[in-house]
Amino acid sequence: MSQKWSLNIEVQRQKGQEQPHFDRFDLEISPDATVLDAVEMIWAFKDCSLCFGHACHHSTCGACGMRVNGVEKLTCITLIGDVTQNGGTIRLQPLRNLPVVSDLVVDLTPLYHRMAQVKHPSVHPIEENKGVANQQTAQQGESDNSYTRLADCIECGLCISVCPAAMTSPAYVGPAALAGAHLAGVIDQQICAIVDTKNGVWRCHSAYECSEVCPSHVQPAHRIMQMRRQLLSQRIRRFFGLQTFHQRKQ
Amino acid sequence: MNRIFQKPDNAIQWFDPRGRQLGYLAFILNRITGMGLALYLLLHLIMLGKLAQGPQAYNSFIETVHHPVFLFGELLVIFAALIHGLNGFRIILNSFGIGVEKHKPLFTVLMIVTLLCGIYFAVRMIAR
Amino acid sequence: MMNSRKMITGEGSGLWLLKAFSGALLVIILAIHLVVNHLVYEGGVMSWQDVVAYYQNPVIAGMEAVFLISVTAHALLGLRGILLDLQPSDAMLAWINRLCTVIGIAAIIYGLWLLLTVASFG
Repeated sequence: MSQKWSLNIEVQRQKGQEQPHFDRFDLEISPDATVLDAVEMIWAFKDCSLCFGHACHHSTCGACGMRVNGVEKLTCITLIGDVTQNGGTIRLQPLRNLPVVSDLVVDLTPLYHRMAQVKHPSVHPIEENKGVANQQTAQQGESDNSYTRLADCIECGLCISVCPAAMTSPAYVGPAALAGAHLAGVIDQQICAIVDTKNGVWRCHSAYECSEVCPSHVQPAHRIMQMRRQLLSQRIRRFFGLQTFHQRKQ
Repeated sequence: MNRIFQKPDNAIQWFDPRGRQLGYLAFILNRITGMGLALYLLLHLIMLGKLAQGPQAYNSFIETVHHPVFLFGELLVIFAALIHGLNGFRIILNSFGIGVEKHKPLFTVLMIVTLLCGIYFAVRMIAR
Repeated sequence: MMNSRKMITGEGSGLWLLKAFSGALLVIILAIHLVVNHLVYEGGVMSWQDVVAYYQNPVIAGMEAVFLISVTAHALLGLRGILLDLQPSDAMLAWINRLCTVIGIAAIIYGLWLLLTVASFG
């Protein structure tokens, strides 16, 4: 029988317009279980009014993002043993900088809208043709350039929660959408009107915390820096009367 | 089940370094040193007005700043200037796509340079 | 929010570039300024006579003038950036911009007057 730890779980609660407060639950749970397992146990055996997001349970959907002891994490892949010790406390709070729907659930609609506006792709082509599948396809005489994979960004919102610029203004486009714009490829005029503004890439404070918490290696901060370089390059090209990226696309 | 009521979040929670990584600490340092240096700039410009009042006014003021408290303050300013300048330089490099992948070791190296230069200034200034 | 009339393309990058380039310039000039003022002169601080002699060199005077303009611009842009994080209204931001501009111009005029005055004592 696996070892069980005795833990105090503090969960931030908020229904409707009431003030946020913490409810404390005592739990016996294995250190090899995930934080999401603990939340589900609380819901199942302690308080079924607790609201929380979850779906895939393997860091693909991005639904279970929340703050665990003040740090943004995907709770389906965060082990109990990594965030506390036997007899310790785990504090769970919803993501920051997004409207709270109920308890641990936030409204990610602003993020989804922005991702659509910057034309964030949902799939990427596979750049290098490796693997058995491609070899088999090549042997069959078919094209080996048609393989795609799902985009890295799972739109979990952890980066928005941790961003110091998003913390101060809801108008900031945000690391996820800016990274999405970079991933879209060519920065056309529509995307430029969103990212090349005082609430776009130039608002970023270079804290790099978004890249630290991203569970999918999107590295939003790195992409924002690269987009700054692209935009500066566009400005210089425009200054010297050379073709810019969106002019070349036409 | 016990209820614990949480007080509202602080308006300047971006100064909170708990649970944050090196890049965020660099951002906090940059902000604090920047604000400190802006305040010092104002005081410095006002103080320099004594130059226009002639040698007696300025030199007697300079005698005042030989006090250890002022010396400590000057060293704080030098450290702040080194931190803000070198970290700012790192941010400029990153914004041009240079050293983005290595931003953490770059920050560490620049802070070591800050420490060494600051110590050198301190030793020379205290010795005099 | 994203379609606000303040979302003018290029509005943010100009000031950001000014802050970045003034900062890059300051790293070099400030290094020279600190070395000269704290390491070169006997006692670690320049006397009135030392300052007057220092400013007789037109290259030095020019460098210090550039230093004054860069540091004033960089400091005010930086403070403005921090104030932007407090979510000022459009009207408040317009006042912040005016205040920064007035303070900046006043500081530069005062500093240049002081520089010329000190240089004239020599």
